[in-house]
Amino acid sequence: MKISGDAMTPIYMRIAQMLEDLILDGSLKEDERVYSQYQLAEMFNINPATAAKGLNLLADEGTVYKKRGLGMFVSADARERILKKRRDGAFKEMARQLVLEAKRLQIDKEKLIDEIRHIYESGAGE
Amino acid sequence: MNAVESTGLVKAFGKKRAVDGLTVQICENRITGLIGRNGAGKTTFLKLIAGYLKPTRGSVDVFGKNPFDNLDVSNNLIFVDDGMAFSQSFTLGEIIAEMPRFYRNFDLELATKLLDYYSLDKKQRTAKLSKGMRSSFNAIIGISARAAVTIFDEPTTGMETAARKDFYRALLKEYIAFPRTVILSSHLLGELSGLLEDIVLIDSGRLVTVMSADEAATYAIGLRGGEKQVGELAGERQVLYREDFAAGVYLVVKGGLAPEEAARAQKLGVEVTPVEADDLCIYLTQKDKGGIDSALRRE
Repeated sequence: MKISGDAMTPIYMRIAQMLEDLILDGSLKEDERVYSQYQLAEMFNINPATAAKGLNLLADEGTVYKKRGLGMFVSADARERILKKRRDGAFKEMARQLVLEAKRLQIDKEKLIDEIRHIYESGAGE
Repeated sequence: MNAVESTGLVKAFGKKRAVDGLTVQICENRITGLIGRNGAGKTTFLKLIAGYLKPTRGSVDVFGKNPFDNLDVSNNLIFVDDGMAFSQSFTLGEIIAEMPRFYRNFDLELATKLLDYYSLDKKQRTAKLSKGMRSSFNAIIGISARAAVTIFDEPTTGMETAARKDFYRALLKEYIAFPRTVILSSHLLGELSGLLEDIVLIDSGRLVTVMSADEAATYAIGLRGGEKQVGELAGERQVLYREDFAAGVYLVVKGGLAPEEAARAQKLGVEVTPVEADDLCIYLTQKDKGGIDSALRRE
């Protein structure tokens, strides 16, 4: 299995992002056990130390917690944490890129807002 | 404890110093990549670690012991390269059957399964194998030995892509199941970087740097665009590589970009690209800042 995400991000971060995606879409539920570093290593053909780094990143952010001898588990408020992190970070960046591109293509503010409204209302992502 | 420690290690062959003052530590129970150009001193260093060569000056220790002529180290260390020689009186099957005498943890069942998987005939002798098959056989021995220090010197020479991928996977899984110190030298860093935990980069017999595989991924960035714009963005950063072309310049600089800098790059129309570990190692060890194009340029 290949890890998604761009080459700009180190592997361990992409692992963390992938786990976050699984939590967001409900595949990993709160208080459910997350894959261990060894399982991740085998799944993605990477060094377990790299996988561990990704898990530790999530643990530092409070998205997962460690149960001594049992592994890492999804925190109760994991979804909210991830949503907040991405809203404040990656999403804002995406919006900035969109505005910059619109300006570059000489799409004015009204047109841009119309376009976004149109896409939102046409049921994209439902 | 460190698996390997070298201090001011020098190995000279006549006037030529293949290893020229190398001081480095390699952590135990990790997969470490020894990376460098041809002639950088990788093989010589590995042979010094394995106790095949004696230092001219300085020292190298394996788990605190001098590996040269040391049975204790020999019992717990396997060195796999394409010079690995086996008697022609033995077939492949007979060789693996005898390996447990030399390596007490040798997994005969695994070796047998791998021989089958690689379609290596147990009744064959090593001289009759193709280069790729011989590399595969040596790799099988190396993985199955479960030696505390397992060294592979360019283990995939002649192996086709599928065989290489299988080798890395088998090595990874066996390393997870039975941890050991693995040192792997290769110049195919691109396909290796997921497997490695640490990278030791050497050049001209000396240490350039040690970094973790993920540090390597973000060590440097590429900036492409007009000379002035790229120059502004690059600022005072160390330039690792420069390539001029008609419309501008491509610069590889150390470090990453803060969000404000990334925004500035976009405004300036400078393209920012990642620098993969294998390219990074080339830039950190190259002789001429211009690369091959400077040799190809016609005046």
